[in-house]
Amino acid sequence: MAEGFLKTMAAGARRSTVAVLAAAALLGGCATGDTGANEPWDPLETPNRFIFSINRAVDIIAIRPIAVLYRDWMPARAQRGIHNVLDNLGEPVTAINEVVQGDPSRAATTMARFLVNSTIGLAGIFDVATSFGLTHTKEGAGNTVGYYASVEPENGGFYMVLPLAGPSNARDAAGLMADYAVDPFRILTFALNVDWLLYSGPRWGATVVDVRTRTLFALDDLEKNSVDYYAALRSAYTQQRAEIIRQKREKTDPRSELQRRDNLALVR
Amino acid sequence: MPFASRRAVLCLAVAVLAMPAHAADGPAAAVIEKASAEVIALIKAKTGRDREAGIRTILLTYFDMPFMGQSALGTHWAATAPAQRDRFLKAVVSAEARAYSERFGQYGGQTLTVGRVSTRSNGVTVVDSKLSQTNGQPIAIQWELRDAGQGPRITDVKIEGVSMVMTRRSDFNSYIQGHGGKVEPLIEELEKRAAN
Repeated sequence: MAEGFLKTMAAGARRSTVAVLAAAALLGGCATGDTGANEPWDPLETPNRFIFSINRAVDIIAIRPIAVLYRDWMPARAQRGIHNVLDNLGEPVTAINEVVQGDPSRAATTMARFLVNSTIGLAGIFDVATSFGLTHTKEGAGNTVGYYASVEPENGGFYMVLPLAGPSNARDAAGLMADYAVDPFRILTFALNVDWLLYSGPRWGATVVDVRTRTLFALDDLEKNSVDYYAALRSAYTQQRAEIIRQKREKTDPRSELQRRDNLALVR
Repeated sequence: MPFASRRAVLCLAVAVLAMPAHAADGPAAAVIEKASAEVIALIKAKTGRDREAGIRTILLTYFDMPFMGQSALGTHWAATAPAQRDRFLKAVVSAEARAYSERFGQYGGQTLTVGRVSTRSNGVTVVDSKLSQTNGQPIAIQWELRDAGQGPRITDVKIEGVSMVMTRRSDFNSYIQGHGGKVEPLIEELEKRAAN
């Protein structure tokens, strides 16, 4: 009786081990053959939705109205100038990332842009470098990690909603911190004890308004035409970040995106 | 003689290369060009309900809406009754027609230029295009077309890397999961939105 019971237990254990192994093999198969058709990985969905709702409240009462006023009342040339200054402040971080990505010549172009625009372009207000043929790029450590990581670029670790900054994931949030850590302007102003009202405050304030103004149309559209805004934004964010990283990788592998699409059609 | 034939080949190659791009692109690119020309003409001429009706016609002509709807429902499609599927597709077409007619707003001189066309072995054609605006950066739009017997029809639109079908699929899936895994609440919500 007891022996029989033990035997059944052992058989059950073996069966479940086999089942677990099979499931792991399937999951592993999914991971390697990941075509991006899966939903973004969001184990923190409940806290994420909580932060998302706070962000949305802050956005509705403060940030969005400012962005609308800025878009409608600030002269277009002033908006352009402020955007250029912010881009210019970001160039050193871009150059550092381009070096890490193994593209020193692109990094040199970025630094040339920085030098030209900081001087002739009057602290970056005017983007004269572009008219010299030095095109603008923007890189962050999130892109760098995505470029080297041997996973589908849709897979940026778990999805997270950052307070104020909004949609992100493990890869991009870590990237933001790394970029902040290596930013020469940040290091310099910390070393010189520059008052935050003189540098950090205006820079991040202007960044928030600039980014929000540029995303007004797309986010309004997404919100209006979705039944679950949180899920729609999660998907759109993941796809767009993946596209940027995929384009970086495709410099060496131009067919991968189309091959992924073939797989996507099969998955459906 | 070998020299002459080489020259002939060269001439032929030059002639092929010099051919207009859209002639070589085939029917898929022609569909995109025709659809975009119709949309631009419509936006210039009409607003409000008339525009919405026009967009609906364009959607039903050039887009494979049943395919897109099925993709957007994903795994829930199989668990949906045929009557529900019809209602779902109808509601989706209304919602998309509404969304597109409001999205375009006033015509601001945008033009769509068709670029590279890639045909895949599984019957999908991917058409790259660029929407040029009078102000701001051009927007990259990729069209995915499939031919199910009535000529190539659009089955997905990717704007700056964001696929319309994938985003809807995520959106719908999450809504369905939040409503006890049933498709009916989603259909009702979409119908409610289409009605007002």
